[in-house]
Amino acid sequence: MNLTTTQEKLTLRIDGLAPALARITAVAGNTLREAGRNKLFFGLLGVTILMLVFSVLLSDLALADQKVRLVTDFGLAVIPLVCIGTAVLLGAVLLYKEIDRKTLYAILPKPIRRSEFLLGKFLGLSLLLLGQLAALAACWAGVLYLRGGAFSLALVQALALSYVEILLVTSAALFFSALSRPVLSGVLTMGVFMIGRITYVINDLMQATKGVFAEVPAMRVLGRVLVALVPDLSTFNIADELQAGVAIPPAYFLHATLYGLSWVGFFVVLSLLVFERRDLV
Amino acid sequence: MAEQNDDILVLDKLGKTFRVGFWGKKVQAVRDVSLTLKRGESLGYLGPNGSGKTTSIKCILSLIQPTSGEIRLFGADPSDAAARARVGYLPEAPYFYDYLKPTEVLDYVGKLYGLDAATRKKRIPMLLDRLGLGHAMDRELRGFSKGMLQRVGIAQSLLSDPDLLIYDEPLSGLDPIGRKEVRELMAELRSEGKSLFFSSHVLTDIETLCDAVCILDRGAVVAQGRLADLLRMDKLESEALIELPADNADAAKALLTGLPGVEVREQVGAVLRLRLPTDVVPGLTAAVVEARATLRELSQRRESLEELFVQKAVHMSSDGQRATTPGGPA
Ligand SMILES: Nc1ncnc2c1ncn2[C@@H]1O[C@H](COP(=O)(O)OP(=O)(O)OP(=O)(O)O)[C@@H](O)[C@H]1O
Ligand SMILES: [Mg+2]
Repeated sequence: MNLTTTQEKLTLRIDGLAPALARITAVAGNTLREAGRNKLFFGLLGVTILMLVFSVLLSDLALADQKVRLVTDFGLAVIPLVCIGTAVLLGAVLLYKEIDRKTLYAILPKPIRRSEFLLGKFLGLSLLLLGQLAALAACWAGVLYLRGGAFSLALVQALALSYVEILLVTSAALFFSALSRPVLSGVLTMGVFMIGRITYVINDLMQATKGVFAEVPAMRVLGRVLVALVPDLSTFNIADELQAGVAIPPAYFLHATLYGLSWVGFFVVLSLLVFERRDLV
Repeated sequence: MAEQNDDILVLDKLGKTFRVGFWGKKVQAVRDVSLTLKRGESLGYLGPNGSGKTTSIKCILSLIQPTSGEIRLFGADPSDAAARARVGYLPEAPYFYDYLKPTEVLDYVGKLYGLDAATRKKRIPMLLDRLGLGHAMDRELRGFSKGMLQRVGIAQSLLSDPDLLIYDEPLSGLDPIGRKEVRELMAELRSEGKSLFFSSHVLTDIETLCDAVCILDRGAVVAQGRLADLLRMDKLESEALIELPADNADAAKALLTGLPGVEVREQVGAVLRLRLPTDVVPGLTAAVVEARATLRELSQRRESLEELFVQKAVHMSSDGQRATTPGGPA
């Protein structure tokens, strides 16, 4: 048997946008597929769903008019946290696993650009997290319904902004994962997340007339650097507005989304730059 | 991709230095390797463990960046995806996503090459079948043996019908039957006009598979050329087994070893084993008669590649670095 079917020359589609997108999709598909077999991922998903259900029982203890609010607040706090935790855990090993298991050696010599591979990995993980967010949101909606609450547009907006925050953390994870090994990249990503969530506090402290951030010059510098280098994740947190019953103006929603996506773009571009010339040994 | 000539792979003074440890200590893995592979040729890339074969191959596929020198793959830089599209690569001890089945691995790879679904559907089972994986086509790779993974690796390297095959240790991890099969397969690919570039320790395997060899040691080329030329050089050597006369041993020995190019390989009692250039043989026979010695055996040597390899590459493990003998662990 002729091994290579030389009778008909194979057509390889490599140049152009469509083949590039097809390659990115192929990598994303495989990333999704791999994550879809991750026990940790499903464990976390299961535990969170249990917690959401449990919040119903817990809300029985609350006053009648507080029941819905308790479930709402709980979901709004826990769902993004779980997704971000997943992003940190899976993001930290996103590239490392491929290098460590040497699967990358078979893939990157193919006619795929490193940037395409990286974008595929990012897309795959982003889609997975979207799925996770959607699954948790669906449970949450069910629980709210049981408590007699409704799933309002404001809640959808809150979840959408959460997803922007999740993407931001994922892109940071991608960057650190392109740069370093899993533990360090996990720690750095967590650092960005935790500092990002409190930069507004640091900002406030620097504005204040008293306190270390206001009085100690070194701390002022540190504060400035942190505020400049780390995205302000409180932008995506509209839980307070929701509670106060204040509608979020579309302009704010747009602003927050653009702010988040700019950071995502920044981290993705940095990752591409780092990964492009890195020795894969 | 401009290809002015038939040089499909050119390494020009390729060098790679790794930096290891906290202080960035330098490890020179590859030094000044230059070679050319022409279309349709088959080149064996040889060397003992740690001599830099895999490192060079990773540079050729743009997995790592050379620190010096240049690589032209089909006339382009290896970072050019279109150049790599014409290469089928088998990594050393290949490993694939273990949650996929062989068909799925190949499907993924096929997508990266931009092969349409119909072509993938047709070629994938054909290739897997050809590589003796027909029975395991629908099993997850988890639990595949080394040899089976090697076969998956070869199958995926052939999926795009590449012009050049770069195989890093294609025969390692295979049982004797597997080795024979893969060797036959490579011979077949070669006869189909594919160019081959493969590394190996298994010299006897390479001897029948390649036109030219490049032998590396500690990152540097120690011998290079067409196999026929390298071996012809050694063909011109003869070996003689001579018994010295008991009464005149020392004088006889002096006479024999005084001939140009004669080398004593061994002496057991009165029996000498000499190595000499073949054109000195007439002089030797005359000297044997003159010294009243007995010529027990005279043979033309055609050194096997194995010996060439040992001779060239293992320039004495005096520094104690080389514990393994090349060709030993296959
Ligand atoms: N990532 C790395 N960092 C530091 N040194 C490395 C690295 N990779 C390889 N080396 C060193 O480079 C040298 C060449 O290694 P390489 O893997 O290329 O050898 P090889 O010829 O393929 O050996 P083998 O026959 O065992 O596969 C070795 O001394 C090795 O220790
Ligand atoms: Mg090697």
